[in-house]
Amino acid sequence: MITLDNLGKTFGTAMAVQDVSLSVPEGAFLVLLGPSGCGKTTILRMLAGLEHPTAGVIRFDDKIIADAARGFTLEPGRRDAGLVFQSYALWPHMSVAGNVAWPLRVAGLSRDEQRARVAEALEMLGVAGLAARYPGEISGGQQQRVAIARMIAPRPKVLLFDEPLSNLDATLRVEMRTELLRVHRATKATAVYVTHDQIEAMTMATHVAVLNGGRVEQFDTPERLLSDPASAFVARFIGTPPANLIPVQDGAWFGTLPCPALPGANGHGMVRAEDLMMADAPGPDAVAAQLVEVVPMAGRRLVTGMVQGQRLTAVTDAAHPIPADLHFRLPPTPSAVFDAEGRRLS
Amino acid sequence: MMRTVLFSLCLSLPLANAALAQDLDTMTAADLLPLAQTEGSVTVYAFTSRIGRVEEAFEAAYPGIDMIGFDMSSTEMIARLRSEASAGIANADVIYVSDAPVVLTELLDSGLMAPYVPPRIADALPDSAKSPLLQQRLSTKVLMYNEESYPDGAPVSNLWELTQPEWNGRVMMVDPLQRGDYLDLMTEIVLRADEMAVAYEAAFGEEITLDDGIADAGRQFIVDLFANDVVLFGSTDDVNVAIGATGQEAAPIGFTSYSDRRDNEDEGWALQVANDVTPSNGIVFPALLALNPEAPNPAAARLAMDFLMGDDSDTGGDGFAPFYVAGDWATRTDITPHPDAIPLADFNGWQIDPQQTATIRAEVADLILQVQ
Amino acid sequence: MTTRAFRQLHLPKGLGLNLVVLLVLVLLVAAPLLTILMQTLDPDRIGAWRDVLASPLSPNLFWRPAANTMILGFGVAIGCILIGGFLAWLVVMTDMPYRGLIGFLATLPFMIPSFATALAWGTVFRNGRVGGGGGLLEGIGINVPDALAWGMIPTMIVLIAHYYALAFTVIAAALATVNGDLVEAAQMTGASRKRVLFGIVLPVVMPAIIAGGSLCFAAAVSNFAAPALLGLPVRMQTLSTRLFGMIEIGQVERGYVLAILLIVISAVFLAFGNRILSGRRSFATISGKGGRARRFALGGARLPLTAIALLICLLTTIMPIILLIAASLAPMASALFSDWTLHFWIGATDPAFARGQAGVLNNPQLLRALALTMGLGAVVALIANVIGILIAVALTRHRLRGISEAVSQLSFLPMLLPGIAFGAAYIALYGAPIGPLPALYGTSTLLSLALTAAMLPFAVQTGRATVAQISGDIDEAARLTGAGFFRRIGAITLPLASRGLIASLLLCFVNVISDLAIVVLLYTPTTPLLSVLSYRYASDGFHQFANAVTLVILAISTLAAGLAALLRGRNRPWLSS
Repeated sequence: MITLDNLGKTFGTAMAVQDVSLSVPEGAFLVLLGPSGCGKTTILRMLAGLEHPTAGVIRFDDKIIADAARGFTLEPGRRDAGLVFQSYALWPHMSVAGNVAWPLRVAGLSRDEQRARVAEALEMLGVAGLAARYPGEISGGQQQRVAIARMIAPRPKVLLFDEPLSNLDATLRVEMRTELLRVHRATKATAVYVTHDQIEAMTMATHVAVLNGGRVEQFDTPERLLSDPASAFVARFIGTPPANLIPVQDGAWFGTLPCPALPGANGHGMVRAEDLMMADAPGPDAVAAQLVEVVPMAGRRLVTGMVQGQRLTAVTDAAHPIPADLHFRLPPTPSAVFDAEGRRLS
Repeated sequence: MMRTVLFSLCLSLPLANAALAQDLDTMTAADLLPLAQTEGSVTVYAFTSRIGRVEEAFEAAYPGIDMIGFDMSSTEMIARLRSEASAGIANADVIYVSDAPVVLTELLDSGLMAPYVPPRIADALPDSAKSPLLQQRLSTKVLMYNEESYPDGAPVSNLWELTQPEWNGRVMMVDPLQRGDYLDLMTEIVLRADEMAVAYEAAFGEEITLDDGIADAGRQFIVDLFANDVVLFGSTDDVNVAIGATGQEAAPIGFTSYSDRRDNEDEGWALQVANDVTPSNGIVFPALLALNPEAPNPAAARLAMDFLMGDDSDTGGDGFAPFYVAGDWATRTDITPHPDAIPLADFNGWQIDPQQTATIRAEVADLILQVQ
Repeated sequence: MTTRAFRQLHLPKGLGLNLVVLLVLVLLVAAPLLTILMQTLDPDRIGAWRDVLASPLSPNLFWRPAANTMILGFGVAIGCILIGGFLAWLVVMTDMPYRGLIGFLATLPFMIPSFATALAWGTVFRNGRVGGGGGLLEGIGINVPDALAWGMIPTMIVLIAHYYALAFTVIAAALATVNGDLVEAAQMTGASRKRVLFGIVLPVVMPAIIAGGSLCFAAAVSNFAAPALLGLPVRMQTLSTRLFGMIEIGQVERGYVLAILLIVISAVFLAFGNRILSGRRSFATISGKGGRARRFALGGARLPLTAIALLICLLTTIMPIILLIAASLAPMASALFSDWTLHFWIGATDPAFARGQAGVLNNPQLLRALALTMGLGAVVALIANVIGILIAVALTRHRLRGISEAVSQLSFLPMLLPGIAFGAAYIALYGAPIGPLPALYGTSTLLSLALTAAMLPFAVQTGRATVAQISGDIDEAARLTGAGFFRRIGAITLPLASRGLIASLLLCFVNVISDLAIVVLLYTPTTPLLSVLSYRYASDGFHQFANAVTLVILAISTLAAGLAALLRGRNRPWLSS
């Protein structure tokens, strides 16, 4: 179990992380999701012990590992946690086997035990054949696997990942996602994973904390983020494709198409792509759009058009013809409504 | 700059023919002056910084002729003259150099220098000072001691005492394998092996016994001196400090220049020459003046040499003033010896014969190399 | 298939670049050295080889000095790596206070002439062996044994105190590029600070350590001033003092043979280091994303370590400078701290004082020498570094069997060559006209050429350590954009390498303006230089004037270093917290 209580971190006068509280059970896969600069990496580094919190408490299970009020932080090496860096941080002067073995040597394991653990970790990641190679001599994907093997060899209870897949190509990324989940399951450890890629979050996480400006916008399961976004920020960030957030003025879409379900409302109405229909003529609930792109996807089609300078995306049947004079028909009720500040209204 | 040099070189080439040079050699300073003024400048390569003061005096005496003094070590000058000759460049007009054994055998013989004796002072010079090259003055590398530490006079009266336990580790000199004049000193000791043998008997009352493979008493002295832990330095000034610094109880002794005594007051030294030494206290060697045979300013060059030899006054006047110091002697017999110095005639140092020195110099260097 | 594509199939990539740098090196380095070699092979002179290697003279002429030289070289290299590396680690990787100051001070010793450091040693440690009254220690009644006053130990200490700045500069630049993630990854394992330092940081900066050690080794084996001042009184000879002596007493061939042997022996040792440096492709550590630097908290060791670092800097920089200043003010070298006068700086001619010499600032030659020296320093530093970067790129990006080895060895050779022999070689080759080319004797072109060649080892070594750490992808990424070779160098390699480059430019500039050994044979009345001016004063016994000019050189060097520090300014991440 990992628990954060009112965690905060300031660098000089800049607030990197503010008032973050959340808790995940043992074996969970927590994803810290957000755009760059949102504070997610800082939280991860505080979990690793590489940064010291300026406010709040971190617990692993019941054990306090950092308490800003008492100025206490446990050394990184004594937290029973492993970290995979975005750059992999493989030590260039050691072979693959040497990289994996070094933490074990530091931990004072016997030679036989070291050998067995190195073999096991490399085996698990499918890179046993590279044991004698140097990091400079293997591919990026292989480096990634070695970095993970190095992390799990000491069998930590907490696995920390700092955007580990961001340097890989798309195919490898999908493959490594599966690989990471397998490793996570096999180790039964609690994982904390930092990314700005919501697909990674949705596919891997048991829990997601969406961060923005150093604060948690929403802490929830992936499903609930999608079904029940707590803020306009989350709604925009999550989903493939993300939901359309359409401006509403005085109870009317775009200020021009009155929506009976939104009397007098101002802000944004959330309309999922599957709730947005195509039409071929104007109407009381239809707006004219300029076709931007059509993306075939899993037997269906994403149709994107510009409406008053804003992109709207609809999901349609692949067979459905695209009208020459494209219009989008809005649903009678938006899935959610946010006020001008992005707060959820209904 | 390069172009100017080449240009003046071209201009002066016609002058360099032998017949004209002959004429120039016999001209008086007054005759040379207008020619020299046309040339406008004269470059002197000198082995001493005192050339700077000569420069001022010369330009005051002969306005309109720019003397460019350029001082460097003798070794450097020899290397430079060789390079310039092979580059086909004549930079220097006058060459003022010590290191006679090397200069006479290597530079004069290969035609990189030419002799010239100003007619005005020719009669005042002994023959040895006129040939093969003009000698301007005589300098020394001799045994010196600390007169504050030894107020009763030199603590050594025979060179062989320096090889005795009493002076173990207390004889100072510059490494003869780094300075030519010290190598000349060692070479002279070998050349005077007979005198060294006599001196040995005088010191110890018995005939000298030579080590295996050692041919004579001079060589034996070098062997014994080094075996007695002679202390070597890189420069004469270090030797001067070691020997001369005041406030020492039992100062060491060593070989340096007699004329450095003139700095006693400036530097806080108490250097004094040990003249009463058997068979000799060291060497006396010449400073040479020569022409560059390809001199771009042949008339000014001769005028400058005439000036450097001193005027007709008792002390040689402004041209010789920088060299009129105790411990250096003018070669001109008509210049009064410096009042503070031992006259050359009473001085106990050996005057070296550069030609002879050159014949065994390398061999002596090898001997030192082996015993060092 | 066009002819052009066909040709590209057969010509290895980078062949052109390799050939160009090889040609430059042949002209600048190989040709002058061959000239010297040919001179020793002349039938009249070939006997010098036997004299040196196999005659009764050999032990003293060659073998003992060679052994001393090697001991000195290795001792100095190790000492410099330890001290320079220690300071670099403190400045770059820890939270020590005064990092900026110490980082600056640690680059200074190299700018102080080694004779000043040797003089400082003598002032403190000299003992009765050389008469003249003892040093400060004997003055307060402490007996100094010969071993501490003269010979190998003091020479080694003085050279370490002089050259550790080289190791510091190179290692600090490399440490600053170590990806912070590597260190954090090690900290995550629970490894102690010491273990992270020795297990991770040191091995990763090994190329820089080897490069720095090589520089110090080569500089130490060819240094003349320190062994001459401190070794001679106990007759300790090194190859460089021996070789200087041989040239000085006219036995030039033996001197050349010694020079060639010095080069050969040192080259063997350095080739070993080069092999390690070039054989490890695993050292590409800069990735596209710069890792943030992480500072070790020194905790309780903070104050003691700071004190040690400051003490090292004070002893090796401030003290020699104070002694130099005193020596430029005191009329008597034997009483450095009494009767100070400014005469040696600003005095007018006074026949009763200092043999009539006016102060250095009244010497009209000083200004000319100043201008020429600075110009020469700037030009040479620039050219040497441009060539150095080209060579570094050729060596790290386009290695070609055969050519690369030659380039690597040639670029390092000048380091091993004592300056005076180098000067002689240049005069021998370029002093006379070659075909239609005019003789360069007496021109600043000749000075520039010789100095450029002499500075190449610095430029190439620092360039290599820097370029080797910029991963090939970055360059390749630029190549994909279609950018040409020089464009990539200008837009990618140079900016990334700028920190190392500025350090290298600085080293070269300082080296040039304080160099004496090389220029002493090459200068002429038309090309006066500050170091020559100082040397001429010194050789005429005007030590105060010589020291004053040396201080002028030192002031310029320090200004240059300060300017470079300022230019790098906030771009020095190893100093920001």
